[in-house]
Amino acid sequence: MTDFVFATAQYESGDWDSAPLVPANVIDSIARYTSIEVAPSGVIVPLSSSSLFRYPLTYLTGHLPVRFSATERVNLQRYAERGGMLFVDDHNHDIDGTFHKTAIEELTRVYGPIKPIPNTHPLYKSFFAFEDGPPTTSHELNGWGDNLVHKTLSGVERNGRLVLLYSSKDYSSEWNYHPENKKFLSVDNTRFAVNLVVYALTR
Amino acid sequence: MPSRAELRKPLETALRVAIVASLAFALWKSIAPVNAGDRTIRSTSQALNVGIERALTHPGDAAIELAMTTTPSPLQRDQLVALRRTGMSVRWSGEVSPLAVEVIRDRDPLEGAQIRVVGAKGAVVLRDSAGVLDTLREGTSTLGVGALVGSVQASDAHTSAIAAIPAATPRRAVLVLGRADWESKFVMSALNESGWLVRARIPSAPNVDVHDDGILPIDTSRYDAVIALDTTAADYATAIVRFVEQGGGLVVSGGALGVGALRAIAPATASARIPGRILLAEDTVTRRDLPFTPLGSVRTDAVSLERQPAGTAIAARRVENGRVLALAYDESWRWRMLGGNSGLSAHRDWWSHLVASVSAERADPVAAGISAVPRVALVNALGPSSALTSAGQNPIDNRLPLWLLVLPIAAALVEIASRRFRGER
Repeated sequence: MTDFVFATAQYESGDWDSAPLVPANVIDSIARYTSIEVAPSGVIVPLSSSSLFRYPLTYLTGHLPVRFSATERVNLQRYAERGGMLFVDDHNHDIDGTFHKTAIEELTRVYGPIKPIPNTHPLYKSFFAFEDGPPTTSHELNGWGDNLVHKTLSGVERNGRLVLLYSSKDYSSEWNYHPENKKFLSVDNTRFAVNLVVYALTR
Repeated sequence: MPSRAELRKPLETALRVAIVASLAFALWKSIAPVNAGDRTIRSTSQALNVGIERALTHPGDAAIELAMTTTPSPLQRDQLVALRRTGMSVRWSGEVSPLAVEVIRDRDPLEGAQIRVVGAKGAVVLRDSAGVLDTLREGTSTLGVGALVGSVQASDAHTSAIAAIPAATPRRAVLVLGRADWESKFVMSALNESGWLVRARIPSAPNVDVHDDGILPIDTSRYDAVIALDTTAADYATAIVRFVEQGGGLVVSGGALGVGALRAIAPATASARIPGRILLAEDTVTRRDLPFTPLGSVRTDAVSLERQPAGTAIAARRVENGRVLALAYDESWRWRMLGGNSGLSAHRDWWSHLVASVSAERADPVAAGISAVPRVALVNALGPSSALTSAGQNPIDNRLPLWLLVLPIAAALVEIASRRFRGER
């Protein structure tokens, strides 16, 4: 009955708002390709607030070191127990970067070991078919970051469903443009965001 | 004038005659043919075993009449049926308790069971083969239990009914029909986590369905229940109605209550939606705080199972062989996510219970056993109660009367004593 609302996580450390155009772009894709009823604008939800539980899919990104507060950790643990899914993307696309190292530490404390997700995972077929796994971004080989094409995403599953999805592919840069500019792309690079949302809503 | 000793001689002679006569009578009584009227065994519930034994060991008896206050045991009932088949007339009369017991397995994956008792006079003690389960006070008729062993016996002051525990039939899948939203997702999650096998059709775009891996046909061999969460169920409405009529369960909520075919079998209709309670920081959500579409126009053959100040929240009715449950909640996922420490398990258990309630294990009259309703079994076996030729009498025993033993012994003792006092041997 309620519309899907795209939520961006606000955490007390780091630059949580480093990709401000991602929500609008994802919302545009959801409305463009699916029949999912989606709210026209996203929300920002503090990880330390109980409001987090109103949004069972939350997007988290940043460049800077991440340190969760005790409340944020407890909230994320409960969020995962109840079926909430957190999508974390490294805006540095750098596995030697500070965001990656600290975020992985923090997320491991909350979720346990983070493991690569096979490229046959239902996530890659939940709407569009990505036969080779996660789509490569134009930012992975742009001379910044680790200059690696990451073959897989990582995550944690509970009860057969992803509760954490971690990306080193820098979708935050890839999707951080105004939706109006999509018309200049031969292939819409936000299609994987549609898979992510459909997966979260249906699994 | 004769002495007193001589006077006793005729008395002694009379005693000897009495001894011989009583022995002769006893001999005649034991070997003489008995007329039909005298060959009726009359017994009560308390002395039933004696009566049956007599009938079994004296095949010449013509009839057995039973003044019953309690039902016979299955063994006694079988013996009476066997006697009837030999040609003996078996009649019974009396006020026998109509106590009956039934065991119905829950379809819930936890595999509990409901014991239902009717017709009890006073408190009923329930036990299974492992021991006493509980006592139902007068006026109570149902006991929910976890595991059961062997058979279930219900006993009131007068009689006992015994029901076999039906074997669990294989659970089938639950079909969830809804659009791609949080309610569909978390209903599926709750049922999956409770152990249900869940299949779903979740349209996410025109001609794009998630989980739609061959859900047809919707029939009772494949599904225990269908959950219709919104108007996406309209595509299958005809099949769902047929499924319910065949004995399937249906939980219908949200926009699905407005789908024509489903509205025709739903226990109630949806009225105007009421938004949920506005939450303050750190508030937790209970079911009463959820957005709510009160159920109106509850049918006369439907039952309101939950009411809130704004109206009926859950209503149920039977439709031919199936059951339909209407829900006024269409955002129960908020209860799971915002319901505090207990919200997750409460939401999960609630959905599992709802589905179990519409897809309940059907009572199996064969598995129930022939002692589940003793009075019915008695009537089936021996026919209805009928007037007895001497109803109310205590067990009639055709054995020789006691006086035939006492009289000759006493007469012999007196006669011997009389002779000895006269000095004769």
